[in-house]
Amino acid sequence: MCGIVGYNGFRDANNVLIDCLKRLEYRGYDSAGVCIVGDKLQIFKDVGEISKLESEIPDFKGDNGISHTRWATHGAVTKDNAHPHVSCDNKIAIIHNGIIENFVQLKEELIKKGIKFYSKTDSEVIANLIYDNYKGDLKQAVTNAIKRLKGSYAIAVVCDDEPNLIVGARKESPLVIGVGDKENFLASDITAFLKYTNRVLYLDDGEVCIIKKDAVKIFDEHDKELKKQIDLIKWDIKDAEKSGFPHFMLKEIYDQPDTIHRVFMGRISEINRTVNFHENIENLITKDINSIHLIACGTSYYAGLVGKYIIEKLTKIPVIVELSSEYRYFGTKDENSLVIGISQSGETADTLAALRQGKNSGCKTLVITNVVGSTATRVSDAYILTQSGPEIGVAATKTFTSQILVLFLLALKIGIIKNSIGVDDLYNYILDLKELPKIVRQILDQSKNIKEIAVQLKNAKSIFFIGRGINYPLSLEGALKLKEISYIHAEGFAAGELKHGPFALLTNITPVVAIVTNDLTYNKIIANIGEVKARGPQVVAIADENDTEIEKHADFVIRFPSKSSILSCIPITVILQLLAYHVARLRDCSIDKPRNLAKSVTVE
Amino acid sequence: MKCVILAAGEGKRMHPLTFTRPKVMLPIANKPILEWNLINAIEAGIKDFIIIVGYKSEMVRNYFGNGQRWNVNIEYVNQGRAMGTAHAIGVVKKFVDSFIVLSGDTIFGKQDIENIIQNENSMGLIKIDNAEDYGIVEIDGNRIVKIYEKMQRPFTNVINAGIYHFNKIIFDFIEKTKKSPRGEYEITDSINMMVKDNEMQGVFLSEWRDVVYPWHLLDANEEILKKINKHIDGDIDKNTMIRGDVIIGKNSRILSGSYIEGPVVIGDNCKIGPNCYIRPFSSIGNNCHVGNACEIKNSIMFDNSNSPHQNYVGDSIIGENCNLGAGSKVANLRLDKKNIKVILNGKKLNTKRRKLGVIMGDNVQTGINSMMNIGAIVGNNCFIGPGALVSGELKTDSRIE
Repeated sequence: MCGIVGYNGFRDANNVLIDCLKRLEYRGYDSAGVCIVGDKLQIFKDVGEISKLESEIPDFKGDNGISHTRWATHGAVTKDNAHPHVSCDNKIAIIHNGIIENFVQLKEELIKKGIKFYSKTDSEVIANLIYDNYKGDLKQAVTNAIKRLKGSYAIAVVCDDEPNLIVGARKESPLVIGVGDKENFLASDITAFLKYTNRVLYLDDGEVCIIKKDAVKIFDEHDKELKKQIDLIKWDIKDAEKSGFPHFMLKEIYDQPDTIHRVFMGRISEINRTVNFHENIENLITKDINSIHLIACGTSYYAGLVGKYIIEKLTKIPVIVELSSEYRYFGTKDENSLVIGISQSGETADTLAALRQGKNSGCKTLVITNVVGSTATRVSDAYILTQSGPEIGVAATKTFTSQILVLFLLALKIGIIKNSIGVDDLYNYILDLKELPKIVRQILDQSKNIKEIAVQLKNAKSIFFIGRGINYPLSLEGALKLKEISYIHAEGFAAGELKHGPFALLTNITPVVAIVTNDLTYNKIIANIGEVKARGPQVVAIADENDTEIEKHADFVIRFPSKSSILSCIPITVILQLLAYHVARLRDCSIDKPRNLAKSVTVE
Repeated sequence: MKCVILAAGEGKRMHPLTFTRPKVMLPIANKPILEWNLINAIEAGIKDFIIIVGYKSEMVRNYFGNGQRWNVNIEYVNQGRAMGTAHAIGVVKKFVDSFIVLSGDTIFGKQDIENIIQNENSMGLIKIDNAEDYGIVEIDGNRIVKIYEKMQRPFTNVINAGIYHFNKIIFDFIEKTKKSPRGEYEITDSINMMVKDNEMQGVFLSEWRDVVYPWHLLDANEEILKKINKHIDGDIDKNTMIRGDVIIGKNSRILSGSYIEGPVVIGDNCKIGPNCYIRPFSSIGNNCHVGNACEIKNSIMFDNSNSPHQNYVGDSIIGENCNLGAGSKVANLRLDKKNIKVILNGKKLNTKRRKLGVIMGDNVQTGINSMMNIGAIVGNNCFIGPGALVSGELKTDSRIE
């Protein structure tokens, strides 16, 4: 995830751009750069935090410019990879947030035309593609260039020959316009320029805009000028980093349609019906693998438990999920086993130690993490990034769903290699994946209803979560989310296990949240709900929208859209997150910083 | 000649009233402070304005628009980062040559603005009693020698009034200005550098009303109401008494038995009476209701508020959308007649006023027979239960039973 800013106005662009970038620091901070349009394009970029850029940047003169803060998802953290990138003639500079999927083809095409490249980034390809299309009109060049791009992008472009304007464009990456007085802004997020103006215009996918000092023009993909209504932002700068949400956790829950999209973007190919990973990873996944160890802590451990059901179903390989702190000392280490560590921060001490143990025992090690350059990426043979962007709320939300999806993609990949998955099934899974962001949006739209149900739970002393199959680890995660932020005692159980003990704790004031999916255990879970109801508590069911039976059994029902049963774990997770969030909110808890907990646990 | 009005500040010392509006939009005699300045500057001959906005800028922009309503041209510039007066003025560098600057939260007179216009490179001065709270100005004849920040024992009672006439030279010095001890770029520091080699004239003002704390609104309100002329648009029932200069807005109804003693201003769409007593120096906003057996004295009531039955409101400010329960009353005088002290933002302050009632934020509801003690400050959205007594400072969103 990256942050981009453009400024065209009357102030020193240098100061404004850096000030705005600081507001985007939450989007990432491993390198940053600016380009100010003066007599010529003046560019400065470096690795490090924005404060470092601020202290080192030369005193560029000019009131028009662009700036970028990077949080690497692809490629190393180096000065060359930092933005802005310039065209081969140094006349066009661009900043880019997103991933261009067909950049290799485009690059070859441009090289054939004699254009030289200086970095390995997809962004430099955009700069040269615009250069290739430039005939004295930057907006036209951008309009023509983006027609060739596949993938996602939010770009801002400046040109030496047209020093009075910035051209912006977006597709599937965020870009908003800030309309000021005698000045205008372009940014990934309103937060960036909110101090300067609270009037915004939203750019939609495929649109191109021209930002001048005293005018903003927006064009649709057919180059027709659009008239858009200016929106007034009501929240102020103090709420800004949370984009107007009251808590980071809620913001991050709402980030999920985007973060989910980012997990599979560039990794699945609908046309070739396949899944691609970096070659380091593909080298690890061979036919010889006879078992998989998933090692993790906390929420990541539960992601592993969900992953176990998915991988076993799709690949028929046995999966052993272990807590890092246990595996390290007691786990069986098998040379033909693939050890996959899961850690959001990549710095979790227990998981790092376990990975080292696995590696020392000759196992192949792979890490799923959210942070480029974290220790875990260095101790393991290969790593997969969840690309969720920084997660600030201590309770993991978007990284949990992304971890599950990475495991899902891995399962597909192993399934392909091991020939355990049919081509049609694979195709259907790919289509289901692509539907997911939309389905999650539908869940988020239900937030109000979920809040009403949270009212029923807020005074409980203890809450049970039950489910069968893949829904069992989801019950564990649902209980974990609830207890860590609302401080209500909560336990997740495999529904079939209730009668083997937990029933002793169940009273008529212990609400039960049951996850019910239309699979082969449907009748069993309905029977379990019956057992629960016989003891008097209220039952909240999370059920498929086509399930017409469930109302007869449960007191409250939260619905999720009917789709592939295996991927319904994602919408169910989002429901559980919202439920926990609303209960904690109703109880006035410190949601983003629960007592006694830290985001990244670097002690064993 | 352009006039730059500084209107970006939040006005923390005006809490709770400025939680929901910028300081310059606080109403005095039913017009924002900024509008009084605008009117006076227009009368002094200015046609082009730049308003420097920041905190809740949309309220200023929505109210004043492009200035058409006043037949002038208004432009806006957002200060961006709030980094002091020198920074705020520096922001307009590219849009002005010779220009007037005035603090939007201080009310200046028309004649004084004219005098400043006539003297390029000048600043307004005023003599006051409590000079220790202001920037002290050392002068040699009419020439500014130096401006000192707040002094405990000022050597003169001549202070910086907050109105200037600059030319382009000032920007050279603004660029050189360093952060002051309180961490801001102060225009007074820029001026001190400039006057070493450039002559700057001091112009003594005849009128000046500085508004710092909420109770100063009552003083400003009184001064402005003294100048109003009778003007009645609303409907007046029989058996009402309207004495002195009273302004009554459109669609407002004054019902039988009401006794209104000017100067008083009542906004549009109000319902006043029956049987109420409105005493001098009261400003009642739009869409307000003052009902039976109520007495309002020397107070400001913002828009959409009600004092519907058996209320006494004296020397008070009632925010927007407030409702006083039947019998809710305000105390405004200590029994020992001493000056009233208040607690504002947790700090105890002497208001130097013998009479002061309540300062009430927006959306406050009081229950029947509740009492507001002298100098009580009630935050926004408070619920005051029936029969409750409010003293001191009540934070926003509080409830008292």
